[in-house]
Amino acid sequence: MLSPDVLPKFISIVGPERCKTSREDLLAYSYDAYVNEFLPDAVLLPKDTAEVAEIMKLASAQSVFVTPRGAGSGLGSGSLAKQGGVVLSFSMMNRILEINTANRYAVVEPGVVIGEFQRAVEKLNLFYPPDPGSANVATMGGSVVMNAGGMRGVKYGVTRDYVLGLEVVLPSGEVMQTGAITAKDVTGYDLTRLICGSEGTLALVTKVIVRLLPKPKTKRTLQAIYNSLDEAGNTVARIIEAGILPATLELMDKTIIKSLEDFLHLGLPLDAAAVLLIDVDGEPETVEKLANLVADFCKGQGARDVRVSQSEKENEQLWVARRAAFGAIARVRPTCIIEDATVPVSLLASAIKKILEVGERNRVQIAVLAHAGDGNLHPFFLCDHRDKEEMARVEKAMDELVDYAMSVGGTLSGEHGIGIAKSKYLPRQLSPASLSLMRGIKKTFDPQGILNPGSFLEHRA
Amino acid sequence: MIAKELKEEVYKCIKCGICLTPCPVYNLLRFEGASPRGRVQLIKKILEGKTELSENFQSLLFTCLLCETCTANCPSGLKTDRLMKTMRSVIQERLGTDRAKKMLGNFLRDRRRPPFFLFCERTRENLISSRKGRSELLADSGIPRPSSKTLRQQVPEVNAASEPRGKVLYFTGCATNYVYPNVGKSVIKVLNRLGVEVILPPGQMCCGLPLFQAGGREEALKNIRENLKLFNREDADTVVVDCAACGAALKKEYFLLLEEMGEDAKPAEELAKKVVDISQILVPSDLGGLLKPVPVRVTYHDPCHLGRSQGVREEPRNLLKRVPQLELVEMAGAEACCGGGAALPWEHPEVASGISRNKVQSIRETRATVVASGCPWCRRQIAENLDEKSIRLLHPVELIAEALGDT
Repeated sequence: MLSPDVLPKFISIVGPERCKTSREDLLAYSYDAYVNEFLPDAVLLPKDTAEVAEIMKLASAQSVFVTPRGAGSGLGSGSLAKQGGVVLSFSMMNRILEINTANRYAVVEPGVVIGEFQRAVEKLNLFYPPDPGSANVATMGGSVVMNAGGMRGVKYGVTRDYVLGLEVVLPSGEVMQTGAITAKDVTGYDLTRLICGSEGTLALVTKVIVRLLPKPKTKRTLQAIYNSLDEAGNTVARIIEAGILPATLELMDKTIIKSLEDFLHLGLPLDAAAVLLIDVDGEPETVEKLANLVADFCKGQGARDVRVSQSEKENEQLWVARRAAFGAIARVRPTCIIEDATVPVSLLASAIKKILEVGERNRVQIAVLAHAGDGNLHPFFLCDHRDKEEMARVEKAMDELVDYAMSVGGTLSGEHGIGIAKSKYLPRQLSPASLSLMRGIKKTFDPQGILNPGSFLEHRA
Repeated sequence: MIAKELKEEVYKCIKCGICLTPCPVYNLLRFEGASPRGRVQLIKKILEGKTELSENFQSLLFTCLLCETCTANCPSGLKTDRLMKTMRSVIQERLGTDRAKKMLGNFLRDRRRPPFFLFCERTRENLISSRKGRSELLADSGIPRPSSKTLRQQVPEVNAASEPRGKVLYFTGCATNYVYPNVGKSVIKVLNRLGVEVILPPGQMCCGLPLFQAGGREEALKNIRENLKLFNREDADTVVVDCAACGAALKKEYFLLLEEMGEDAKPAEELAKKVVDISQILVPSDLGGLLKPVPVRVTYHDPCHLGRSQGVREEPRNLLKRVPQLELVEMAGAEACCGGGAALPWEHPEVASGISRNKVQSIRETRATVVASGCPWCRRQIAENLDEKSIRLLHPVELIAEALGDT
């Protein structure tokens, strides 16, 4: 609980309108896109760095817990007030401050929605590749502290590959710059990359500098349609092995295809076992060649048909569909827990087999989606969180999947982060030395432990 | 109370947040309680008994345009708008209606009383008069004054065509009848010219939409039943509407509402089959040779109740394109709500005007001199925020009537 004299001080910083304390407002900040809920004691909506700094000065002086939040689209309670205190929402800090075409970088506030930023730079023939499925919801700040990946990871990498520098507010309230606007910078430890992926435990990001690429001239979207999930998985591994580099390489199984078709009526093949959604981009001639190459390749690997989109609009519709996958799956069951273990891509087909086997054994319905090109699996565990017995089976299935991923040199989480959803598995992947070093880093940034308490590092089995 | 099916509806929300960015209200206010996801989650908490209905919840629930953008964008097919509309009536039952809405209800349900548009006008003046004088406000508003004689007083019940080739019933709606009689005269003129007899069934009432959208479902039943009786006449199989909101009510809302209330929805289903928007009936018609040039630059705004509710998007555009020398330019975000939805301009005027700013900006960028839109609420809201007398706001059918000339 907040002590009663703290609240007026927060109000004096942001004003009464942007300090929310009603029951309804607190409830509205008690959830993200995962299942757990935690009620904060207050919600603050600062408008600039100065306000954030003031808030943190006060919070550290009074030992108030502060949890940062972007759009609340996370999948592991990372942005929830797990031990009470204040949720600091960046939704009102949402200006694009600069798009520098001469040096190909941009500076944005943390609350800018990724998709809106992508569209803004694309108007200037520039390109911001990180593209999480939730790009039209999630914020730039959120994607930086979660080091979001997404659909273009196979060719273009993830968020950390594009962050040049940050402005952050430390838990003490001190404002600090990291990195630079230049393409190269080896001055000191790479604090930018340390904060990127820190799940909001080290500092509050108030500005993000990202590098941009020239926008690829053309893009084609292909749908390779399979009668067997296994063959689809194998194709992916073969494409990567053959040195072909598509911009995206997504896999969806029949449950996902059906729920997307129910939503958008695009004529997706309802009788298929799997579809690979593949983008190729670049110069028109290259794209033409690459599209044919990929199409032939897929057919050679057992695709029963390959459809090539005929227009920009058709490309777009297919990606609208893919982005809606998580939401659309609620047509099947009310709760969806996404596992995002990642395996070496050569093992994709056997990993999918394993997923299905685990689901069957535990009587859990699993739909398979994957950023297949980089081995990043997204099995959707379809359930109803009101059913305790079913949830226990889901948990057991997840345990088994983690065991499998660990046994083949995979990782606990490819891109969604640990949060509280996977914190219990953390010692499975990180050695005691590594964990202790991480806790030391946390202590250096946040000696009082007021920033995002209850986060992944604090879980002790 | 709330229907069982709708209760289960809240569990379709997986909290993905796809509804946030497209929501005009969230985009402006930028806090979660003002987003569709926020409202759905609050409704869930209320239905689960984990929180109480409160005035603060009521205020959040009514900070909504009912523009249906969230419903259209929801991947899991959650009927967000149905949920919000139902909760509005639940909260009205539980917390009691505030006085202004109660008065509005009384006026809408009584055809002898002064028309509701007049009433709205006066309420608004009263509310704002502390800041602005009455005359100054009216001069500024750009809103047409209520006509001294209503449309139904100005034209006969039966408007016969010279060479009759069919007949339609015309649901005039309050706006056309009381404030925009020229829209009604245009409808009659154009249809007559095509050889269609236009009948205005006497005794027709307000469609009830402003009432049931504000939560007055029970109160709206009288209007709904009366209109169903009047327009399910055996002697005509087409009912023409020029107002997007009335059209949405007759085509869709009556049926859903009666069903949700556990009433007999059959007559509403019958009526829905007969109702067409004026643009839908005119597009396939043989207008081509009759239209004279109207050299204006026009941009078309999609009313929420026509585009999203009824799926009528291309017809008004195709109609306008048939007028020689009329140049139709698309504005950015033509389908985005103008801010005039539900009673937001009266509930939260500053939020409504904030939302209108984007629309006005898109309109200005087209350099059009006419904004065409088949919804009187949209035309009012845009006119009020456009603050530019050189841009005319017209119903597409008015342009068609103009192109037909005098003979």
